[in-house]
Amino acid sequence: MIDQLKTDFDKTITNLKLSNKGIEIRRKSLNQFSENGFPNKRIEDWKFSDLNQIISSNIKGLNFYSNLTSDKVDESIFINKFKHNKIVFINGVISNIDLSHEDETKVSLSKNLDLDEDRKEVNPLISLNNAFTSSYIRVIVHENYSFNNPLIIYNISNNNLKSTALNLRTDIVLEKNTNLKLITLFDDNSENNFINIIQNFDIAQDAILKSYKIDHKKNSNIKYFYNNINLGKNSISENFIFSTGSKFIKNEVNCNLNDQFSSAFINGIINLTDTQHHEIKTNINHLAENTKSYQLIKSVLNDNSKGIYQGKIFVDAKAQKTNGYQLSKALLLNENTEFNGKPELEIYADDVKCSHGSTSGNLDEDSVFYLMSRGLSRQQSKELLINGFLMDAVEKITDFEIKDLIKDLMGIAE
Amino acid sequence: MLQIKNLKAKIDNKEILKGLNLDIKPGEVHAIMGPNGSGKSTLSNVLSGKKGYSVSGEVKYLNENLLDLEIEERAHKGIFLAFQYPLEIPGVNTNIFLKTSLNAIKKAKGEKELDAIEFLKLVKQKAAELKFDEKILSRQLNVGFSGGEKKKNEILQMSILNPKLSILDETDSGLDIDALKTVSEGVNALRSKDSSFLIITHYQRLLDYIEPDFVHVLINGQIVKSGGSELALELESKGYESLS
Repeated sequence: MIDQLKTDFDKTITNLKLSNKGIEIRRKSLNQFSENGFPNKRIEDWKFSDLNQIISSNIKGLNFYSNLTSDKVDESIFINKFKHNKIVFINGVISNIDLSHEDETKVSLSKNLDLDEDRKEVNPLISLNNAFTSSYIRVIVHENYSFNNPLIIYNISNNNLKSTALNLRTDIVLEKNTNLKLITLFDDNSENNFINIIQNFDIAQDAILKSYKIDHKKNSNIKYFYNNINLGKNSISENFIFSTGSKFIKNEVNCNLNDQFSSAFINGIINLTDTQHHEIKTNINHLAENTKSYQLIKSVLNDNSKGIYQGKIFVDAKAQKTNGYQLSKALLLNENTEFNGKPELEIYADDVKCSHGSTSGNLDEDSVFYLMSRGLSRQQSKELLINGFLMDAVEKITDFEIKDLIKDLMGIAE
Repeated sequence: MLQIKNLKAKIDNKEILKGLNLDIKPGEVHAIMGPNGSGKSTLSNVLSGKKGYSVSGEVKYLNENLLDLEIEERAHKGIFLAFQYPLEIPGVNTNIFLKTSLNAIKKAKGEKELDAIEFLKLVKQKAAELKFDEKILSRQLNVGFSGGEKKKNEILQMSILNPKLSILDETDSGLDIDALKTVSEGVNALRSKDSSFLIITHYQRLLDYIEPDFVHVLINGQIVKSGGSELALELESKGYESLS
């Protein structure tokens, strides 16, 4: 793999036309990744998801270089339920940016791949991304501006993309007192690729970012998402993860509550069939007084699928009056399914309110009987109960349009 | 309408019903009274098709072999069980559930399903008749409902689904006197020459409001005595001891 990496790296940096300094930074990242390789289960954070094994058994001859150019957009995949702004990635290439609903003086964009800032390398996949980032977009929302309509980042792939590692990055910067609703929507028509996406959210004082990540279309791609969130004073980060489509996904969220009265909400659903394997891992760092975090993850596992939730709440010694909560509930519909929950609390302050809970179980047969006694078939009863189970988390979505969109994707009609 | 002959039911190898006979004709209201553990709930579960029992004997319902029918088929053919403990179903909107249920039954009967507007009209009307606050219907099914609200919701479902044979399993338990009256009025409103009721209860109290045509005493898995509504009063004063 090392030779392939080096060859593909040389092709990538030539293709991207980077500065010498930019290349130097990327080369360091490449070396970091080369030394470690893909994470395997011997690494504590990856013990439930051996990515090295998953990639080698699902992708033959992984390429790290992609020279695909942007294809035409199939407009039928766009959401038509509500007006929105768009950034469209096709096969990892930015093909369209449309912010026509907004005041263009209030929003800045940058696509400069030659970032020379100090990038954190918290794990080998971040290093890999830093070395190979082929598409980058930075959206800055300037002080006191609220987006009129949501921004949807479409991540579309077609069958030209094969056995390739894509490394993409998006930064969202919300300056003071701004407001943005962001949807990251995947539409995979490609097979057996490794898609590695870093999202960075910097949310300044009094700003609100609502971010909804939707991966719903069944596909055989392997995905890793790293979402880093920094919260300023009195700011809010609402996140929802809809995790049902890909063969494998690990959604990792690192959230820093850096200043007083900031709050973070991370809710999500995992709903899997066949041999799908999805993980949500969160690190919530309470680093200032009076901060709040809330997490609710609901998982439904069918067939031979596997779900994992690793949720950590860290409370710094100075983060008094912290309120931290996490709950994971899983429904295992078959004896061949597996769910692993690992809650972790690490608390150094003494005046805090933190709680966690985790349950897993079968569908309640008495409830099935109740519904069937009202004329519903077994299948209808199961669907109603499963959707009801998942709705608990969906109901946490505070935006009505987007909640309806999610219900539509789940096939729940009102 | 319903003929039960020598019905036996076992659960975990323990025999609960030990040869029960009962004949219910259209338009009749039958009450079954009995002490704890006599098999009252087992009877309602077996009639509505709950799994887990090994059952023998014969149950004819509208000239069909009831025991061969699946749970939902029994509902499609007009059997309704009002649960002693209605289940809380989180995340499922009561209205959506009611509509799904009604349309499943209509579909099975080959009738036209109701659209959202027709359904809401029906629900409003039925809820008003039962003095049932319709706001509750936009909440999750039975979640956070009081005991009385849960039982009223069962009766509301019954009145919307309009069954031929309704089985009320201890519907009076946990009801205060006002709720008991409302629930009873709801049941009485549904009495007709074509619909029958099987009312299962501990106490005579409910029968003050819903007057049965027949009262049966169930003890240790068998009906030991049958009579008219006066039998309920006799039981209330003498207790079950006198019959066992």
